[in-house]
Amino acid sequence: MLSYEPHDSLAHRLDPRAKLAVQVGFALAAFAHTTPRGLAILTALAGCVLAAARLSPIAALREARYALPFLVAGPAIAALTPGPPWIAASQAVVPALASYRVLVVLVVSVAYVRTTRVRDSRTAVQSLVPGRPGRFLGVGVALVFRFLPVLLADLSRTRTAMRARLGSERGLIDRMEIVTSAGVRRAFGRADRLGVALRARCFAWNPTLSRLRFARRDVAALCFAGGLVAWTLV
Amino acid sequence: MIEARNVAYRYEGAEESAVDGVSLTIHDGSFVVLAGPNGSGKTTLVRQFNGLLEPDSGTVSVNGQAVAGNVVAARTAVAMTFQDPRDGFVAATVGADVAFGPENLGLSRDEIDRRVGDALAAVQMDGRGDERIDRLSGGERARVAIAGALAMAPDHLVLDEPFAGLDEPARRSVLDRLRALHSDGTGIVVVTHDLRDLVAPADRVVVMNEGQVALDAPPDDAIDRLPALGVRAPC
Amino acid sequence: MSAETGDVELVGDAAASNLARAALFAALIGAFAYVSFPNPVSPAPVTLQVLGVFLAGILLGPVWGGAACGLYLLAGALGAPVFAGGSAGLGVLVGPTAGYLWSYPFAAAAIGSVVHGGVSLTDPKAAGLARLVGAMVLGVVVIYPAEALKIAAGVGIVRSDAIAAAR
Repeated sequence: MLSYEPHDSLAHRLDPRAKLAVQVGFALAAFAHTTPRGLAILTALAGCVLAAARLSPIAALREARYALPFLVAGPAIAALTPGPPWIAASQAVVPALASYRVLVVLVVSVAYVRTTRVRDSRTAVQSLVPGRPGRFLGVGVALVFRFLPVLLADLSRTRTAMRARLGSERGLIDRMEIVTSAGVRRAFGRADRLGVALRARCFAWNPTLSRLRFARRDVAALCFAGGLVAWTLV
Repeated sequence: MIEARNVAYRYEGAEESAVDGVSLTIHDGSFVVLAGPNGSGKTTLVRQFNGLLEPDSGTVSVNGQAVAGNVVAARTAVAMTFQDPRDGFVAATVGADVAFGPENLGLSRDEIDRRVGDALAAVQMDGRGDERIDRLSGGERARVAIAGALAMAPDHLVLDEPFAGLDEPARRSVLDRLRALHSDGTGIVVVTHDLRDLVAPADRVVVMNEGQVALDAPPDDAIDRLPALGVRAPC
Repeated sequence: MSAETGDVELVGDAAASNLARAALFAALIGAFAYVSFPNPVSPAPVTLQVLGVFLAGILLGPVWGGAACGLYLLAGALGAPVFAGGSAGLGVLVGPTAGYLWSYPFAAAAIGSVVHGGVSLTDPKAAGLARLVGAMVLGVVVIYPAEALKIAAGVGIVRSDAIAAAR
């Protein structure tokens, strides 16, 4: 599972907002310059990002592995032609570039996730989206991080119990229904207890926010992000 | 001081009142055990101390102020932990969760950091602010929940079934912390159906039955009368 | 309760419980991504994820169901491992499955507004079967527009074949 890992790399010390800006810049630049030259430059820049996060390219690719089948399938299917010679590599070039572009963006976002605490991401959201919507999103995101492992444990308990009662002899739809309804029921029970606990702790729209302060290194990261955005306009 | 006067509460759709005419005063710094069988109205009663429920009739005041008129003051003075602390955490890591209450109160960052540090120290979890809550043991989770309540700097700490699901060492560790908090002056209210080890530290045992106070006495006087009220006497 | 002290603006009871439900549902959609069943007709396993999106609309209504899906995407973008295969990050939202993901809030909102007949919440049990089925079909069209088009085209071809055969 991809998650934050403590370290004292440069990327760890950057402001989360600056890191988000870099990611957006990367995504935009990759879509604007899906050419061999553009992607070569972006690959070099992504390498710098990984170095700043003290993350090896292999580790980053491993975290993006779920996407690899999709990324390979696109160009592979495009290369097929209905008739001899059956495979036309030239048709695969554009889809291959598109796949590679996604891979570069994925690797950069892996670096973000590895180097950013949940608390800082939440604070970034609340400082970028003002007022109540920001508070909703900030607390909501923190709650998703908190309850994902809890709900996963609930689901795996349900599946174990089902297996113990020879559930595997039931039909697929039946089993899906059992797991889904148990999951929903438990989640609602937890949500109601959580709602009470939130209120007991004076859940407010206008709390004290964590400190986020731009340092000089953040200005450099923002310039980098700005440069990427400017490049998309060229 | 928490003062309930003739408080009654009935849940929507229920035939009988969950709490039916209860008057109770809880003084600062006291250690009260609120016992009674399941469904006797203990939880419903304490949830009116901090405005989580509003009584149908009667009044509750905290430090002389009606709860209904100042919910924030009541929730600050009467902090609460719940039966399954797992469902009460709002963040994935210990420190971020404990900070939630004081952040809501709009305190300065320095004050919040100080309170989080003190609260974690009070439950012997100092220096563990960055740990993930889903990797803690049951006893540690219970103590972090208590720290989250303590960070509100309450006069009274109300714990609803704090020992449910805890093994013996975890139960001991929580109980030790409650004794320590009490000796530092925090009022403690333990809502429980199981009085083991609570008689010694408590000043007072209140037993509820069918929505009413059936017994309100010092622990030594209360012990003999417990079995008749559906509460297992501690051995 | 509306009373407030000083500057603390308490979140109302209803809003607090809706927020808790939306967040738990967002986490549930994420957890459903991990539950896969062997698929009898295809090598790709069936996950419960899209079902979770539909249920968000049905059970939470258009507003909070849509909000739950929005939270799911944001939490995933910020690193919660809630996307397929435990992946996360902003990159996934421009990746190969991005189109489906972006459609989730819209699908939940569309389904919710059909089931509840507007933005206010009603008891989903009161909605008729036709309404529920209609809502699901709409959800499928929102999440899988391309596939839905292919199926529609397929149905068209089959029908014209059938008509041709009947002649």
